[in-house]
Amino acid sequence: MGKDTVIKLKDVSVSYLQNRKGTHSVKDFILKASFISPFQKHRVLHNIDMEVKRGDSIGILGPNGTGKSTLLRTIAGIIKPDTGTVDVKVIISPLLTLGAGLELELSGYENMKISMALTGNYSKSTRAEMIEKVSDFAELTKEQLKMPVKMYSTGMLARLAFSSVMTAQPELLMIDEVLAVGDRGFQRKCKDRLHEILQNGATLLFISHSPDEVKEICKRGICINEGRKIYDGSSKKAADVYSKLF
Amino acid sequence: MRAKRRYIILFLIYKNLQLKYKHSVLGFFWSLLHPFLYLLIFLAIFSAAFPAIENYPLYVLSGLIFWIYFSNATSQLSIVFIKNAHLLKSFNISKLLYPLTELGSELVSFLLGLIPFMILMYFLGLKITINLLYIIPVILLFSIFTFSVGLILGSLNVFLRDVGILWNTINPALFYLSPIAYSFKIVPERFKFIVKYNPLYHFLELVRNVLYSGQSPDPHYVGRCLMITSVAGILAFIIYRKTRNGFISNL
Repeated sequence: MGKDTVIKLKDVSVSYLQNRKGTHSVKDFILKASFISPFQKHRVLHNIDMEVKRGDSIGILGPNGTGKSTLLRTIAGIIKPDTGTVDVKVIISPLLTLGAGLELELSGYENMKISMALTGNYSKSTRAEMIEKVSDFAELTKEQLKMPVKMYSTGMLARLAFSSVMTAQPELLMIDEVLAVGDRGFQRKCKDRLHEILQNGATLLFISHSPDEVKEICKRGICINEGRKIYDGSSKKAADVYSKLF
Repeated sequence: MRAKRRYIILFLIYKNLQLKYKHSVLGFFWSLLHPFLYLLIFLAIFSAAFPAIENYPLYVLSGLIFWIYFSNATSQLSIVFIKNAHLLKSFNISKLLYPLTELGSELVSFLLGLIPFMILMYFLGLKITINLLYIIPVILLFSIFTFSVGLILGSLNVFLRDVGILWNTINPALFYLSPIAYSFKIVPERFKFIVKYNPLYHFLELVRNVLYSGQSPDPHYVGRCLMITSVAGILAFIIYRKTRNGFISNL
């Protein structure tokens, strides 16, 4: 592993255990008599090789359900691959997925604290300051932050989740399609902050369905189709490859 | 990293407690009302039926609070991975932290509830002696057993939701199979084996050695409970290890 390499995937394959009959109950098990092996392996990612250097900004493009999120989860260590090795040398901040990591019954403030604790950005001395920064960035009012987040709109949820992670300077940031739900103003703000974070030396993995966004934010692009990496190179070329898929 | 882990654990416990009592006016007091109500019912119905049991209220209460702890904790643990699916999918922290903190918050509720109930037990005739301190290792051992049962249920429940439903159905049956409102002595000889095979019976005896009889725990039951806990613990560990990699794809 080279000096600047922060992530290295070698021949990584990932499978999901899939319930063969699509059932979740004992009754169906018995009726369909599938006691022998009720679960079937369903391969999601096939032999992925990938190397990421410090400061890379990589856009990941691909049709729905082709394993983009699974790829990020594998890198984050949330899913273990069947074969191959995953080497990650940096501290990973949580995946930014829609609604992920939010406890709907709790207030915005409480969610902020939980997310800070889980990402390791929590310390008593900086807590008040961090909370202020996060609420500023999210542009959510005190009243809104006191409400349980189940009353939030999708955009507000994304603002909250995004801000909790973006306010810190993460080493490796992984974004899974969250940018799309914010309004224009917030999207602009996030992109500016992303550039800032990147300039400070962070590494970015960015899933999107907008080739233009990928071209704008990322230098490098990876295209995935049916669990295989079909292109890895400049973000411009990747956007073309992606557009041709449809 | 250790400091961070401590925060994570504390926050998850805090989150569980918050969620539990968030939208209720009486909050924590509900958890006291539950055993208290049962106690009154048993006193009203059964105290005349079991005149042989000396100090029946204390007998019932000592068993009841431990039963409720077990029943609450296991039913919460059976859904712990399902409930935390969104966290499991976005944070790379040990999956074991979720059941551990779930038990932690149940234990906190239980211990807080124990204070008023100990006072009540004192008025019911509990003798305050040094032997009472034995309740601490008993609670610890019982918690490990409860955790093991809960972890087995929680792991399997991810794949088969019936496990959770089934457990909630079995729970009340288990209550009557355990000598909580009645004494083991009154069980007819030919049915005694059923109660004996119920692991909870041995724990209840242990609890009552301390809280009801005011003695030190009987080594016979200590041995039994240690054995039961070890078996449950090993089983839980194996099942959790076997299933944990499939959690994400089935949540």
